[in-house]
Amino acid sequence: MKPARFEYHRPGSVDEAAALLAELGDEAKVLAGGQSLVPMLSLRLAYFDHLIDVSRLDGLRGLTVDGASLRLGAGMTEAAVGADVGVARAVPLLARATPLIGHFQIRNRGTLGGSIAHADPAAEYPAVALALDAELEAFSASAGRRVIPAAEFFTGLWSTALEPDELLVGVRFPVWTGRCGFAVEEFARRAGDFAIAGVVVALELNGDDRVARAAIGMLGLGSTPLRAPAAEAAAVGQRAGELDGAELGRLAMSGLEDIPADLQGSADYRVRVGAELVARAWAAASAEAAGSDGVGVTAASAGAIDG
Amino acid sequence: MTETATAPTPPTRYTGSRVPRVEDGRLLTGHGTFVDDIQRPGMLHACFVRSPFARALINEIDASAALALPGVHAVFTAADLNPDVHEQWYSSYGPKVPDTPRPPLASGEVRFVGDPVALVVAENRYIAEDAVELVEVDYEPLTAVADYRDAQTSGILVHPKYPNNVAGGLAGPPPQVVEAAFASAAHIADETFYQQAYAPVPMETRGMVVEWSADTDELTIWAATQTPHEVRAFGARLLGLEPERVRVLMRDTGGGFGQKVVPMREDMCVMLAARKVPAALKWIEDRRENLMAAGQARHEHGHARIAFAADGTILAAGIEHTQDIGAYPTPWPVGAAAAVGLLFPGPYKVPLASWSTTSLFSNTAGRHAYRGPWQFESVARELLLDIAARDMGLDPVELRRRNMISRDELPYPNPAGMPPYDHSSPLETFELALKMLDYDAFRAEQAAARAAGRYLGVGTSTYIEPTATGQEYYACEGAVLRVAPDGRMTVIVNGGSSGNSLETTVIQLTADALGVPFDNVDTIQGDTAVTPFGSGTAGSRSGSATAGAVGEAAAALRAKLAELASPRLGVPPEDIEVADGRAQVRGSGQSSGQSSGQSLTYADLAGPDGVEASATYTAKAPMLWSNATHVCTCEVDVVTGKVTLLRYIVGEDVGPMINPNIVEGQIAGGTVQGIGGALLEHMVYDEDGNPLASTFVDYLLPTTTEVPHIEYGHMETPAPGPGGHKGAGEGGAIGAPPAVINAVADALSPFGVKITNLPASPAALVALLTEAGH
Ligand SMILES: Cc1cc2nc3c(=O)[nH]c(=O)nc-3n(C[C@H](O)[C@H](O)[C@H](O)COP(=O)(O)OP(=O)(O)OC[C@H]3O[C@@H](n4cnc5c(N)ncnc54)[C@H](O)[C@@H]3O)c2cc1C
Repeated sequence: MKPARFEYHRPGSVDEAAALLAELGDEAKVLAGGQSLVPMLSLRLAYFDHLIDVSRLDGLRGLTVDGASLRLGAGMTEAAVGADVGVARAVPLLARATPLIGHFQIRNRGTLGGSIAHADPAAEYPAVALALDAELEAFSASAGRRVIPAAEFFTGLWSTALEPDELLVGVRFPVWTGRCGFAVEEFARRAGDFAIAGVVVALELNGDDRVARAAIGMLGLGSTPLRAPAAEAAAVGQRAGELDGAELGRLAMSGLEDIPADLQGSADYRVRVGAELVARAWAAASAEAAGSDGVGVTAASAGAIDG
Repeated sequence: MTETATAPTPPTRYTGSRVPRVEDGRLLTGHGTFVDDIQRPGMLHACFVRSPFARALINEIDASAALALPGVHAVFTAADLNPDVHEQWYSSYGPKVPDTPRPPLASGEVRFVGDPVALVVAENRYIAEDAVELVEVDYEPLTAVADYRDAQTSGILVHPKYPNNVAGGLAGPPPQVVEAAFASAAHIADETFYQQAYAPVPMETRGMVVEWSADTDELTIWAATQTPHEVRAFGARLLGLEPERVRVLMRDTGGGFGQKVVPMREDMCVMLAARKVPAALKWIEDRRENLMAAGQARHEHGHARIAFAADGTILAAGIEHTQDIGAYPTPWPVGAAAAVGLLFPGPYKVPLASWSTTSLFSNTAGRHAYRGPWQFESVARELLLDIAARDMGLDPVELRRRNMISRDELPYPNPAGMPPYDHSSPLETFELALKMLDYDAFRAEQAAARAAGRYLGVGTSTYIEPTATGQEYYACEGAVLRVAPDGRMTVIVNGGSSGNSLETTVIQLTADALGVPFDNVDTIQGDTAVTPFGSGTAGSRSGSATAGAVGEAAAALRAKLAELASPRLGVPPEDIEVADGRAQVRGSGQSSGQSSGQSLTYADLAGPDGVEASATYTAKAPMLWSNATHVCTCEVDVVTGKVTLLRYIVGEDVGPMINPNIVEGQIAGGTVQGIGGALLEHMVYDEDGNPLASTFVDYLLPTTTEVPHIEYGHMETPAPGPGGHKGAGEGGAIGAPPAVINAVADALSPFGVKITNLPASPAALVALLTEAGH
C-alpha cells in the first residue's frame, strides 16, 4: 500500500494553485485533507504525476455571512465546520451532519471542499449542499471565478461540473429563517462508516402550521446525492402534523434509479431503509419547526469565526 | 464478583492480584518494538506479486521490465525458491500427518486471489510495489471453486490429487448410536447452521526480517510470531540448517490469535529468498494482503440435531460438520476439526452423541487457526437449544437449567469421545451471569418494551473448553531463573506474547515462587539464542505452562540456594528453608533476629557469577477444563435491521486467576472478536472467487461504538495443574457469537424469525423479517 511516485507541489496562493493546475493539466490532482485521495493513491486505484496541496492556503479558509447566506472557504476542515457556533446557528444541517462524517481523526484533516469535490454519493456535505441549493464557487486561471448551483454540480458517481483546471474555493449556503426545523437521519453499519442511506430535511412552517417550504436531500441512494422533489411537492402547503411520514418516504423513494447494491445491502433494502429515514427525519424536523418561536436564526446572529 | 470453589491455594503476594502490566509502559507510549521497527544495514524489502484470479494456469512470467527498474535487486519465482525447500512440516503435528500442499510460491497454477506468484526484492517497499506492477504474468483463467459448498459437485479440482476436493474427514460415534434415541424422542430440534468466513485480523499484520550470514552459515530472523522456537525449528528444517544456526528474535507482536502460530507460505518465501540476497530482507504484509491472503477461519456449516424427552431432558445429540479449508490451509486442518464433533455435546448431560467432519478445498484463502478453532460446536449447539426451547414453549434458560452439568456432578462423561469433564462449573457460571443481569427483571423490561413497539432480546451461551493440552508438543515449557550478584532475579522463557502479557505473568509467578518483590524481577523472552524451549502462545496454554515451568525452575533454584547456604549456616540443606528472599535455618523464623549466622539473602549466596537453575515442565493432565457463560442483551430496529447491544456479561471459570486484569483483557478481546463474527465481519467472495472485503472499508471490525461495556463474574475452580490455573485465551471468542445471535433471535421471536446463517447483518435480518411477512 505505497503510492506510485508523484511530484508534490505546495503553492503559496490560490492564484498559484490555479496556475499550476492550468499548466499540469490532467496529470495533476488537488490534494486537500487527503482522506479520500491518499487511500486511493496508496491502494494504486489512482495515479497522478503531480499533487497540488491546497490544504495550507489561507485563501481557502474563513467563514463569512452576508445577507441571507453563509459562505465557507472550501479548505475549512470538517472538524472546524462542526465546531463553529456560527455555522450551527446559520445552517444547522451542516453542524448536525458533521459528526456523522467518519471519525474525528478524519474530520481533523478532511475538508468541506474536498468532500464536495470528491462527490461521494454517500457523503453528507454534498447532500446538504444539494438540499439547500448551495452555490459552489470555482476558480481557474483561464476562466476566473464562476458559480455553479448545487443542482448542476453533481454530475455522476464521483464526478462534478468542475473542470480539471478548476479549484473549488468556497461554498455558499442559504440561511433559512422563520419557523424552521432541520434533521439528519442516516443508517450506517458502524459509527463513522459511509452511510447505507441517509436523509437530510429542512422545512419551514408558516403561521397556520402549513409547510411553506421543504427540502429533502438523500445520500447513498443513487450515483449522486439526490433531492426528493415529489415528496417535497406533496408536503408544501400541507399541515406538517397531518402529513404521513411513511407516504413521504414512499414518494421520496419512487422513481429512484441507480440505487447502489453492495455487500451492505441490496437496492430493495436501501429503499426500505431510505423510506423509513425520510419518515424519521421529517418527523424530527417538523417537531422542531412546530416548537420553534418563529424568530429563528438570522444570518446576522451567525458569528464569523475563522475556520 | 469472585467465588472460590474449594480450598484456596496458599496465599501469595502477587498471583491473583491486579498487578499493572509491565508491558504497558512501552506499548502505551508508542515505544513497543514490532518487526517493522527492525532496521539492518543495507536492508532490502520484499513484496509479493499475487494472483488476480481465483484459479488460472501460469503460462509465463516475464520479470525483465521489473528487473530493469532502478533499485530492484531480484524477482524470484517458484522455479527459484521452491526447489530449495528441504523439509516443510510443523512440530505440533510432526512430519507424518497427511498434510495438505503448501508450496512457497505458486507453481504452474494459481489457486486463490492473492496466491503468491513471485517475490520482488528492492531497495524499499515503494520501488518493490512499482516493480510488482511491472512483472508480467501470462495467466489462463479457469473456472474456480468459489464456494466450498459446491466443492464436491462442481467437477473442478482445486488440487488434482484430492478427488471431490475432500482433504479428509474424521468421525466419532456413528449416527446409528443415536438413532433409537431420536426415534423415541418427544421433541427433535434439527437445523443446519452456516457460519461465514472471518479472520483474526491482528492489528499488526504478518511480517519478518531475515538475515543470512553466508560466512558463518547463520540465519537470524526477526518475526511477528506467537512462538519464536517454532519459527526456529521450522526455518531450520525448511533450509536444511542446524537449529543452533538459526536465531529467532521478537519483542512485541501486535496480536496473533492463531494467524501467527506457525510460519506460512510467505514466511517460507522470505526465509528462502534471504539466502539469495546480499543483505537482510524485510517483508511487512500490508492490510490488503492480510485480508486477502493471510487466511480465513470459521467458514463452515453443520447439520445439528438434539433429541429431547417430554420434560426437556436431552436424550442424544449429533452433528455432521463440513468446513472450508480454502486452497492452502495452515496447518493441517483435518485433525483440528475433530474438536467440533467432540465438543458438540458441551456442558450438558448428553447420554449419546454422534459426529463427523469433512474438510473441503476451495479456491479461496487457506483456513488457519483462530482463537477457539472449534467454536462452531458452541454456535451450533447454543443456537439449536434456543430454537428448541422456543419450539417446545420453554424459556431457553429453563431448558438449559434442566440439562446443564453442575460442579458437584463432576467428573461427567462426554459421549462424543473426550475424556470426562472435570474441575469446572457450567451451571454455576450460568446462574452467576443470569444473576448479574437480573434475568427476570430483563424479561419484564422486554415485555414492556414490546408493548411499546420496541424489540429487546436476551441470549445466553455456555461452553466448556479444553485448555493447556497435555499433547506432547504443546505440553512442554522451559524456564531459567537467574539470581544476579546483587540479588535481582531474571526469569527467562520462550515468550511469544502477542498481547497476552507473558512478561507480567512470569514476573508475578517468579516473585511469588522466590518471595521477592515484583520490581526485583526482570524477564527475557523472545530470543531463541538465550531462552529455553517452550511451545508458545497457543491452545490457551501459556498461563498454566509458564506457571509449571517457573514453579519447577524455582524449586531447582531453591535447592541450589540451600546447597550454597548449607556450609555457611552450618546445617544440612534439607534443614534450610528458601523463602521470602532469604535462606534460613528451618524453624528459626524471621522474627528470631536476623543474625547472619541464621539467615542469608539471595545476594549473599549469589557470588560474582550469580546462581542459575532451569527446568522443563511437562503437562501431565490431558487438558484443563475452562468454562463460561456469556449473556447478551440487545435491541433490534425491525425496520433497518440494526442491532444495538445493551449489556454484555461473562460469568467464567479459568481457575485461580494469576492476574484478573489479564484474564479480563483476554475475555474482552475474544468477546469483541466474537461480536464481530456474529454481526459484522465477513470475508465475502463473489461467484468467481474474488474477495470483496479486502480493505477495512468492507471488512467491518467492531469498534468501541459497537461494543458495550463488558461485565465479568469470576468463579475459581482449581484444576489439577500448576497453581490450579486454567486457560483463558480463547474462550471469549467461543462464547460470544452464539450469545449475540441468540439475543437477536430472542428480540425477533414475536415475528417467528429463526436465525441459522451468520452473520446477522442488518440486511440479512431484514430479509428474514420480510420473509416472515413483516
Ligand atoms: C475511514 C474514513 C471514513 C470516512 N467516512 C466518511 C463519511 O462517513 N462521510 C463522508 O462524507 N466522508 C467520509 N470520509 C471521507 C472524508 O470526509 C474525506 O475527507 C472527504 O471526502 C475528502 O476531503 P479531503 O479534504 O480529505 O479531500 P482529498 O482526499 O484531499 O481530496 C478528495 C478529492 O477532492 C479533490 N479536491 C479536494 N479539494 C479540492 C478543491 N478545493 N478543489 C477541487 N478539488 C478538490 C481532490 O483532488 C480529490 O479528487 C471518510 C474517509 C475515511 C478515510
